[in-house]
Amino acid sequence: MSSRSRLPGVLGVIAATMGLFFSAFSTHDYALHLDRQLHATNCSFVPGLTGPESGDNACKAAMYSSYSAIFRDKYWGGVPISLFAMGAYAFFLALAVYLLTAGNSASKRSWQAYGLASLTPIIASAVMFTISVTKLGQFCKLCVGLYVASGILAASGVWALVAAGGKRGAGAVGGSATDTIPDAGPPVPAGYPLHAYAMPEPARSPLGPSSLVPTGSWLAPLSLFPMLGVFAVAPALVYTSSLPDYRPMLLSCGKIVDLNEKTGALVKLKTLRPVQPALTFEDPLCPTCKAFHKRLQTEEIFDRLDLTVAIFPLDSECNPMLDRPFHPGSCQLAKAFLCGDKIGKAREILDWSYDNQDELRDAGKAGKEIIRAKIREKFPDVDACIDDKETKKRLDRVLQFAVTNKIPISTPQMFLGETRLCEEDTDLGLRYVMGQLAPQVFQP
Amino acid sequence: MKLAHVLSLLAGVGLLVGVVSFVSVEVKAAEKRLTAPKKADAPVAATADHTEAPYCTPQFKSVLQRVVNACGLVGEESRRGCQPVDVKQFATISDEDFNALFAPLEQRGAIILFDDAGDKLDDGAKKLIMEKWEDRRLARYFFIVSRASKSGAAGMNKALSHKRANSVNFWLADQSKDPDLDKKVGMLWLGEEFAQLPKDYCDKWTNSRPGKPCNADAINRSAFISWVDCRL
Repeated sequence: MSSRSRLPGVLGVIAATMGLFFSAFSTHDYALHLDRQLHATNCSFVPGLTGPESGDNACKAAMYSSYSAIFRDKYWGGVPISLFAMGAYAFFLALAVYLLTAGNSASKRSWQAYGLASLTPIIASAVMFTISVTKLGQFCKLCVGLYVASGILAASGVWALVAAGGKRGAGAVGGSATDTIPDAGPPVPAGYPLHAYAMPEPARSPLGPSSLVPTGSWLAPLSLFPMLGVFAVAPALVYTSSLPDYRPMLLSCGKIVDLNEKTGALVKLKTLRPVQPALTFEDPLCPTCKAFHKRLQTEEIFDRLDLTVAIFPLDSECNPMLDRPFHPGSCQLAKAFLCGDKIGKAREILDWSYDNQDELRDAGKAGKEIIRAKIREKFPDVDACIDDKETKKRLDRVLQFAVTNKIPISTPQMFLGETRLCEEDTDLGLRYVMGQLAPQVFQP
Repeated sequence: MKLAHVLSLLAGVGLLVGVVSFVSVEVKAAEKRLTAPKKADAPVAATADHTEAPYCTPQFKSVLQRVVNACGLVGEESRRGCQPVDVKQFATISDEDFNALFAPLEQRGAIILFDDAGDKLDDGAKKLIMEKWEDRRLARYFFIVSRASKSGAAGMNKALSHKRANSVNFWLADQSKDPDLDKKVGMLWLGEEFAQLPKDYCDKWTNSRPGKPCNADAINRSAFISWVDCRL
């Protein structure tokens, strides 16, 4: 008996191994952050060979985005989707090994089931790819590795489907109590062990060498999908059951001493449906503040906050707490923000600062006048106010407010009511901590 | 069962066990780090605090500390001001050295001038006091150090010095409406026997009567005011 093409199996093994490899690195990076600290992340097509990268990269951006995990409000950090990928690729690896080793004895239904099942990862990849393009605007290399793996797996699946179909593929797929061996031979009684059935004539597959293929029963596809589900879900179940209890840590970062700033120096931002009083310390040129601000928006938290902003530029031009400018130019933006408050444009100016942060950071480094020109160009109506003595005094009072409350010189910081959100909970754990400390934010 | 079935079954079970073990180990390792973080893993950011200027020398701070403690700027006491005798006790330095402590505040502070035997603030004084008060930046304490010239009786000068300090303080209270004023403002009223200012302070320091005649007597009928950028 001549053999079927083993290429779908070979491709399946390669794809599943790749998928397992990339999803394992992704899971590792995610789990590393469960200690609430910052870590370098792997962001390479050959993770493991190149070391993890500290600082910002596309993989970190993807990880911190709201799309990298589910059930974020129930579990700290949520359940990373890479866990499902890992389980699924483990399943496909075992299945591909079967196809590879079974050769002709694998039933047609098994090939078809493999073909159909192997299309599922590429559907997930297509969704994630779309998110990368439309929401994140960048591609994480580990994710690209997974897209490629799912593509190869899908190719092997399609190959398997075509090969399984053979000349009578369409008819054979129907499956009934009188399933037939393709091309020739007597009807096969239902329930008869197909691999044991005598095969009269070998059928020629359009893609592989001629083979005599047992049709098999529907049990294969019917059992494969639940098994895929078990494999995909098992790592997530183990993950959630192993997670530490984060609740005691959420309140461990103290409270504000005196929320009441009597001179009106702080800025109240207008939000759509405020239900939770919150205070933030933000620097318009701080990348983490930008990420935090965007995260609050994408998680649909921002507009539920009754938000007061203490603008806190980490720039020694106006902030005497510093001996050098961490974010040169942010004093100009902070003053513009305070001026914007007078004409109802504070939120607009803050959003603009974050949306154009890279450009503004460069401008700030190039000189005070350069960033000032950018502000003037966009918001001419706040230009005169920036140099006003009153604006400087107001900014001083904001800084005094920070001093009175012994605020760490670090941005961003958020207080829910009086409770200080730990910095460790402002990224991966944000949705969880909001769910715990301010559940009304998520109520309709 | 065929070899392929056995192999794939073994592979499947092995892979599943491997994957869940990997997940479990990773999460447990994170939990271990979480409950016993390395010191290096928990950097502590500096805390927002009042400024500390270079003139905050140990000597300057010892004067500041005395005023802060004795004048009720810390704690719940509402006592205000220090008796000149207190200054005599702690200022065991020469007049020149005592004045030199405040010299670096030349740009930050100002001198409020009064009429001979007077303690009333004129318009220039009122304006300058508020200008300086509002230029707080991140300073913690506001100092009023009043003086009297040597002309006249010592007792009268002592009382006059006290009244001048109070005039500044009352004006601040009236204008700033700051409920925490008594936790910010420290006062020293120096009698004629203490650290008279030399005449060159007329030119070096901003005073409330610019362009008007200023001599050694006039500069000492005054109250020196300034935010002090020191931490204690």
